Amino acid sequence: MKLSIDHVTDFTYDTEVTHSIQYLRLTPLPSAGQQILQWHLDVPGSVHRTLDTYGNVLHVCTVDQPHQGITIRAQGSAEISEDEQPESDNRIPPEVFLRTSPLTQTSDAMREFARGFRATNADAQAGRHQLIELMSALLERIPYRSGMTHVQSSAADAFAQGFGVCQDHSHIFIACCRWLGIPARYVSGYVHAGDDQHIASHAWAEAWVENAWHSFDVSNGLSSSNHHLKLAHGIDYLDASPVRGVRWGGGAESMRTYALVDQMDRRAARLRDKQKDRLQEQQQAQQ
Amino acid sequence: MTAIEKPAPHLYDEMLCNEGVHEHYRAYLQWLENTPDATLEQKRREADTLFRRFGITFNVYGEEEGTERLIPFDLIPRIIPASEWTHLERGLRQRVTALNRFLHDIYHDQEILRAGIIPADQVLTNQQFQVAMLGVDLPGHNYIPITGVDLIRDSDGEYFVLEDNLRTPSGVSYMLENRKMMMRLFPELFLAQGVAPVEHYPNLLLETLQSASDADSPCVVVLTPGRYNSAFFEHAFLAQQMGVPLVEGADLFVRNGCVFMRTTTGPRQVHVIYRRIDDAFLDPLAFNPDSMLGVPGLLSAYRDGNVILANALGTGVADDKSIYPYVPDMIRFYLDEEPILNNVPTWVCRREEDLAYVLEHLEELVVKEVHGAGGYGMLIGPKAGPEELDTFRQLLRDNPANYIAQPTLCLSTCPTMVNEGIAPRHIDLRPFVLSGSEIKLVPGGLTRVALREGSLVVNSSQGGGTKDTWVLEGAPC
Repeated sequence: MKLSIDHVTDFTYDTEVTHSIQYLRLTPLPSAGQQILQWHLDVPGSVHRTLDTYGNVLHVCTVDQPHQGITIRAQGSAEISEDEQPESDNRIPPEVFLRTSPLTQTSDAMREFARGFRATNADAQAGRHQLIELMSALLERIPYRSGMTHVQSSAADAFAQGFGVCQDHSHIFIACCRWLGIPARYVSGYVHAGDDQHIASHAWAEAWVENAWHSFDVSNGLSSSNHHLKLAHGIDYLDASPVRGVRWGGGAESMRTYALVDQMDRRAARLRDKQKDRLQEQQQAQQ
Repeated sequence: MTAIEKPAPHLYDEMLCNEGVHEHYRAYLQWLENTPDATLEQKRREADTLFRRFGITFNVYGEEEGTERLIPFDLIPRIIPASEWTHLERGLRQRVTALNRFLHDIYHDQEILRAGIIPADQVLTNQQFQVAMLGVDLPGHNYIPITGVDLIRDSDGEYFVLEDNLRTPSGVSYMLENRKMMMRLFPELFLAQGVAPVEHYPNLLLETLQSASDADSPCVVVLTPGRYNSAFFEHAFLAQQMGVPLVEGADLFVRNGCVFMRTTTGPRQVHVIYRRIDDAFLDPLAFNPDSMLGVPGLLSAYRDGNVILANALGTGVADDKSIYPYVPDMIRFYLDEEPILNNVPTWVCRREEDLAYVLEHLEELVVKEVHGAGGYGMLIGPKAGPEELDTFRQLLRDNPANYIAQPTLCLSTCPTMVNEGIAPRHIDLRPFVLSGSEIKLVPGGLTRVALREGSLVVNSSQGGGTKDTWVLEGAPC
């Protein structure tokens, strides 16, 4: 499947900002599951490209001149493999992803919930099918609803709230996996989840089972990532966040972000349909 | 002079012994006995006034009266004979070398984990382990330019390592100021005896920091959390002594992968940051997002090798109390040597048999939180009431991996001036080890003294005091 992405993040400040700096993880890397056809990142100021702790592409963008807004735009297209392609990358020992962080600590209620997904054989690790069950049960327990949690909410907060968005689903899933002794990490990226254009800056999880990283998109109930373009992964949202910044001055801020993910062959098909309609209209008019 | 109160028979005293006085204290004791009380009292007042005037103070957390206080300074020095120091120095060099090898190893090949010497999860999921350091190559593989090792002595006078301080060890300014004070108050003592000098420490520190960078004439700065930090005095003091800028996070910024300092003549690149800020606060874009103390972007510049942090990021995993019990094994593993300085015997409560022993003998033991520091969150069994013991029994059962236990140590004592006269008080010793192209130490270190009678807690944050530490030059008589 070919995906085309247009992702714009727009910050506007009430007063002048004297200096700002951003960590941007907005550049996908090619892997077995995704081929990057073209990609372009448009950011203001001086930009330095490097790799972060986890091997994600990191752009560090510094704006030294007084400014009242910043616009960051990532555009490109990628070919997503139809079959799930689990990564077996272990440059960072998978056990590192058993660490907890403030955002992925378990609460009593979460442990109670996760307890049911322990491997039946006491010595064995829970397998992939158990995690798929965990994923479905989690979506049932914490249905998708926006506006109930915010970007700083921890897994435990969202679990107590009873509702959450993809970030919360991923945090809870990761926290449960780690508690079950399964390394798990947070993934940020894009998803094409419908037939039509879709607001689609997204988060999901990967868990280390059967010696590879397998995807679990809790919000969409998908145990594969063949609709997904991955940008970055890390211990939690803070590590894999596409945009993380600090500024001096500026007062209050408003942020507008939109990500358009379009399936290119569908778009082509739609264009063909439109042309056909127009042809028919013309033909009808001629008749 | 008023008589010196006799030390307890079951403890090691630095000055006095059954035969009267240890050889290396004979000259000093003679001087002390010939000095009138009134003179000592006057010198004590003089020291107080001078310290207050210099502004050498320490903030004590959780104490309501006043935010700043003098660390009490005791006029009676702690004296170490040359042969003893030679032994300590060898042990410290060995230990610091092994700890540094350990840090490089766990952030690269992890041989010690694969060999099963230390359980991998104890390192990889340790909160002090920094994932960001994996695969990062530091010049000279030097993680710990500045180390402070806390030593104590048991009832036989044998030295033991109580803990290593590999993050931002403090106290060296007191070592320097104490010596300056003693030389000012009692110049005749230094004329009479060969006391090894310590005042070149700031020069050695600067050399060490400069040698950590590959840059031609590296720009070194001291990064402080600011004047409200308990050790701000020391940050300012060391910067001034080294002749380098003292900066706060807001004075630095990151651009094009490098760190710059704002100066009146424009930005200037910084090559080495002697940072006195904890890992979690260094870069709000990478760690604690609420930190106002750090430098946004610093981690990216550091990982790219464009700036040196002293000490490196992620050194705390090696001085964590859960890793401490393995340091003797590190020495054997990396250096193929037997430890010259021993650890205090330690029960690791995550081990079932150790936990059982600890629960059984709680009233004899000291229990510590594995991630704690500064004498907080600990139980001193023999001093605890039944209620406190019960609380800790429950804590241990609930989360055994969070604790280690050690026997109640009989720290050595040293005669100390107190209200009642001169009496033995418990002390420890923190030597400072500087690792650059080679390892350097100034003789001695900081001696801390627990001023309350019978107290074993020497931490300055809990009301301990300090003494000047003398290493005698040449062979002891």
